[in-house]
Amino acid sequence: MNWLDQWTERRLRGIAQRSSRRSFLGRLGGLLAGAATLPLLPVARGADKAPESGDPTSCDYWRYCATDGFLCACCGGSASSCPPGTEMSPITWIGTCTNPVDNAAYVISYNDCCGKSACGNCSCTRNEGDRPIYQPQLNNEYNWCLGTEHQTYNCSVARVIGKAD
Amino acid sequence: MRVLNWITALLLLAGAARAEFAADPLGQVEPLPERWPAHWVLVHDIAFEHIMDGKTVVLDLDAETPADQFKGMFNSAFAAFLAQSRTRPEIYLAETYYSRGTRGERTDVLTIYDKRSLSPTGEVVLKTNRAILLPQKFSMQMTSDDTLALIYNFTPAMSVSVVDPIAKRYVADIPIPGCAAVFPTGQRSFSSLCGNGTLYTVRLDADGQPAGTSRSERFFDPESDALIEKAAWHAGRAWFPSYHGRWQPVDFSGDAPRIEPAWSMLDDETAGWRPGGLAPAAAGADGRLYVLAHPEGREGSHRDPGVEVWVFDPSARQRIARYPLRLPGLTLALTRDAELLLVINVEMQLDVYRASDGELLKTIAGIGTETPLLVFGAN
Repeated sequence: MNWLDQWTERRLRGIAQRSSRRSFLGRLGGLLAGAATLPLLPVARGADKAPESGDPTSCDYWRYCATDGFLCACCGGSASSCPPGTEMSPITWIGTCTNPVDNAAYVISYNDCCGKSACGNCSCTRNEGDRPIYQPQLNNEYNWCLGTEHQTYNCSVARVIGKAD
Repeated sequence: MRVLNWITALLLLAGAARAEFAADPLGQVEPLPERWPAHWVLVHDIAFEHIMDGKTVVLDLDAETPADQFKGMFNSAFAAFLAQSRTRPEIYLAETYYSRGTRGERTDVLTIYDKRSLSPTGEVVLKTNRAILLPQKFSMQMTSDDTLALIYNFTPAMSVSVVDPIAKRYVADIPIPGCAAVFPTGQRSFSSLCGNGTLYTVRLDADGQPAGTSRSERFFDPESDALIEKAAWHAGRAWFPSYHGRWQPVDFSGDAPRIEPAWSMLDDETAGWRPGGLAPAAAGADGRLYVLAHPEGREGSHRDPGVEVWVFDPSARQRIARYPLRLPGLTLALTRDAELLLVINVEMQLDVYRASDGELLKTIAGIGTETPLLVFGAN
């Protein structure tokens, strides 16, 4: 437990999460210039799905290891789908999270859902792997609603796109 | 007839009474001074959960009550960038609007506010490529000669817009591939920090067009110890805090940035501490450096709030004081006379400390702000 946990953790986190915004950050993240580049990722792309456990409305859910923003699963969407009336950003940030069921590493795409104001529910922030704005592929201070009709940010999903080799 | 006389007399009396009563004037609006006092500050509330409708509040820190501290406000849309003129009573905002509020046609605009009225007095329409990110001071800066606004763009293509707020003219959109933020350099140039550990400098001609570029040697490693671009800045000099607790000074006063030797913030007493926060560093007229610091630094703690402010003498490269904070602080700034140290704490309140000794003077809260993430001393 670090010193932060000793400070009125809940309030602190609430504020830090609001102030830290949304977006995508990962230990092994990379900025993709559009969904078309996704197949280029060096990942195993089998037809099997990742085994699941945990609560997608909780910040502790395994896929959210590198997220920063409001969880779409609490906003009318799910861990992999956007809320009604929003648009999923094709430009994403990639993280690598360990699945507690099979202990394997999976590549997660943290797409923003855009076109409405912030959902405001279930904020979830981690800054591990985050680097300053001159390394945008590793930065979660940017609004990543890019390539969408509108840049207003609503929430973030965590799509499993493959196993990390 | 008698009744009429009475009515006439009453009307005359009523008229006389009205003439003696000084009614409040209609339509009176308070002005502000052209030159704001040294202890006035601008608090930028991005209103994160309704971010299209942010605002900036002007506060007089010498006033005693929140009601008296609040001097006025102006809207600041969609995580606006803010810069103050040094020679004109003007504030510039780089904003983004949609024609239907949160949707519709996007318009990016440089809005010019008059400090005397807090009213917009002009605007310059921008390209729709302004970076939208957590607010920070080096997203928009004025050139050192105070003639051109420099606005950082990200689409994710990275560029800088040059805008002439005097002629109200969009001048140029200059690519800065792989680099970000704007640091005024020389009289009319700017530099940006780059992902390869260099500074990229663009020289502007008399018209504000790019006239040449240069790149520094590689002077930091973003992988092993990244420089935080939210530098302490004073009089053309920057001190960049690094993730692991170094100061990297850079002199931007000449035509090309001069990179000076880095030095450590840490000693045996503070091993394991790190700088952190949303705006972790400040420098000012007192010649000292201030930084928010937290113990038990780790990967990812670079935006954790600081539990102390450390004070440094940059000429001696030594820490000269540690100020414990009432509540951990996310954002640090100084008034222009460097007498007051401004800390936005984790409760989103503004704590005002005396810069010379770290004594807490007052806490400003309950002024109608929600997520005030940045504070500026008035120019």
